[in-house]
Amino acid sequence: MREVFCRIDRCLACRSCEIACAIVHSQSGELVKALREEPLPNHRVTVLKVDDNGRKVRMRSVALQCRQCLEPACVDACFAGGVVKDEITGLVRFDRDRCVGCWSCTMVCTFGAIVRVRDAKVAVKCDRCEDREQPACVAACPTAALVFCEPEEFEALLASTDIAILRESN
Amino acid sequence: MNIVIIGNSAAGIGALEAFRKWDRESSVTIVSDETASLYSRCLLSYYLADDIARSRLTFRARDFHKRLNAKVILGHRVESVDPSKQLVICDNGSRLGYDRLLIATGGSAKLPPNIPIDVGGIYVLRTLADAEVIRKHIRPGGKAVVLGGGLVGMKAAFALRKRGMEVTVVVRSPFVLSQMIDAGAARIVMAKLKEYGILVLTGADVVGVESTKGYISAVKIERVDSKESRIDDQSQPCDLMIVAKGVKPNMDLVSRATVQCNRGIVTNSKMRTSVENIYAAGDVAETYDIATGQRSVNALWTCAMQQGRIAGTNMAGKDKEYDGSVGMNSINFPGVDLISFGVVRPKQDEGYEVCVDERGGDRIYKKVVLKDGKIKGLVLVNKIDNAGVLLSLLGRKVDVTEFKTELLRDDFTYGRVLGSCAAAEYLRYVKASQSTEG
Repeated sequence: MREVFCRIDRCLACRSCEIACAIVHSQSGELVKALREEPLPNHRVTVLKVDDNGRKVRMRSVALQCRQCLEPACVDACFAGGVVKDEITGLVRFDRDRCVGCWSCTMVCTFGAIVRVRDAKVAVKCDRCEDREQPACVAACPTAALVFCEPEEFEALLASTDIAILRESN
Repeated sequence: MNIVIIGNSAAGIGALEAFRKWDRESSVTIVSDETASLYSRCLLSYYLADDIARSRLTFRARDFHKRLNAKVILGHRVESVDPSKQLVICDNGSRLGYDRLLIATGGSAKLPPNIPIDVGGIYVLRTLADAEVIRKHIRPGGKAVVLGGGLVGMKAAFALRKRGMEVTVVVRSPFVLSQMIDAGAARIVMAKLKEYGILVLTGADVVGVESTKGYISAVKIERVDSKESRIDDQSQPCDLMIVAKGVKPNMDLVSRATVQCNRGIVTNSKMRTSVENIYAAGDVAETYDIATGQRSVNALWTCAMQQGRIAGTNMAGKDKEYDGSVGMNSINFPGVDLISFGVVRPKQDEGYEVCVDERGGDRIYKKVVLKDGKIKGLVLVNKIDNAGVLLSLLGRKVDVTEFKTELLRDDFTYGRVLGSCAAAEYLRYVKASQSTEG
């Protein structure tokens, strides 16, 4: 199953992915109109600092979204039955209509990848742009830090780049 | 193989789902003493509050059992289990043979001896039947008393308040939610309760009930000081009382002589009981608690689901370990989003280290409890987005010494974990959708 991965050696924290994500999840699907929408659309990918006090990787960043876990904690935590792991596509699906905004998914997400839409009391997250050929964040990334591929491919990619430095630590 | 699952809520359903992943052939029978099926207990307070319709109480599709090829027996209580003959005996005398049995009987509301539950207008909130009868007695402007300030009590109090009742919460402790928060978080919570119009009587207990024509009319509330000696009594009119003094495991169906029981039915890391072929999961099961290091019953939806899945997988002949449970709760009401887990109020001189961030004044509160460089507990009020990152660090027993001063910062995210535990963590990130460690 192809997933979205981020090469932290290439991420410049430009946040193009965040904007692209918000646009595809807006009502209009266009930047200018989306900026005027109420409520403002949310992005489900977030750029985070990868900070280790400058010891090994120096200051870098990662664009993080739902990892579509094999055994998702959010599925177990959701007492409204609003989170389902689709065994065929591998996607973890959030059902907006079942969500009661209890934030139990927030409580258990290892990656902190749940976005709380507080006014609507509904939790959303990356849907991997299921209907698109390529996820919007990947298409928008100007440095090709975000890649959409099989996990094995990404591991191979890691081995051949200077991210290998990560492999020596710990 | 014949599989029998006693219980049709989180643990039982989680077990069925996991079992069927590996075994499509064996016969599975689910027995429940309730007639309503597949509804979520945790949603009952939302139903009371009219936040959701009754139809939204179900947490799985209507044809769920059929799709997973499970036979369901509703409205029958299992009276006993005979491990020597591998039989369960139902209240109508019928017997079901099993090759593997899961006890997922859950818990029942605890009832203080001085509360006459048969008097009209006094209810517990545990089942859909309870919620339906409470709904019939909600009257805007009526006077409600909630005995107990735990999660269920508070969710009930908010629901009744939202429906226009005058609500008084009576708690023994100095603040509500005392199992899951500390005095610092309680300051915010108690202020918001007041704003919302819920009266909380602390250091108090309901010691008697007055009734007219078999229906509650008033409660006698006793206030006690910190040394538990009585200060005074007062009588207060009451139209509806909800008793929320916690739950106790439903383990009467097993004989303590044959199946090892302690606070709940004792389970090992495979969710197996002391008896061959009998498993237990959910609110009835006692497990290892990762945060405290002790054995306890964490009667929580998430834990029940996880334990059910482990049990179901192992009943299908696979070998899956349960790392243990953690007490964890998320509650929200107007002005407060609160998540807490693990050891929240550590005893002094047990080697715990506590960091608190109160810079948010009367709105934001954060506290993390550490021991030997590892996270043991957390309380977050109104800044909860990275709670799961911290819970994962607790669950995996990650040494956080390197960044322990940053744990409570608003910009502490998974990125910091990735930076510090680089290689191993990056691999987890890459493999989350592949490996069972996700």
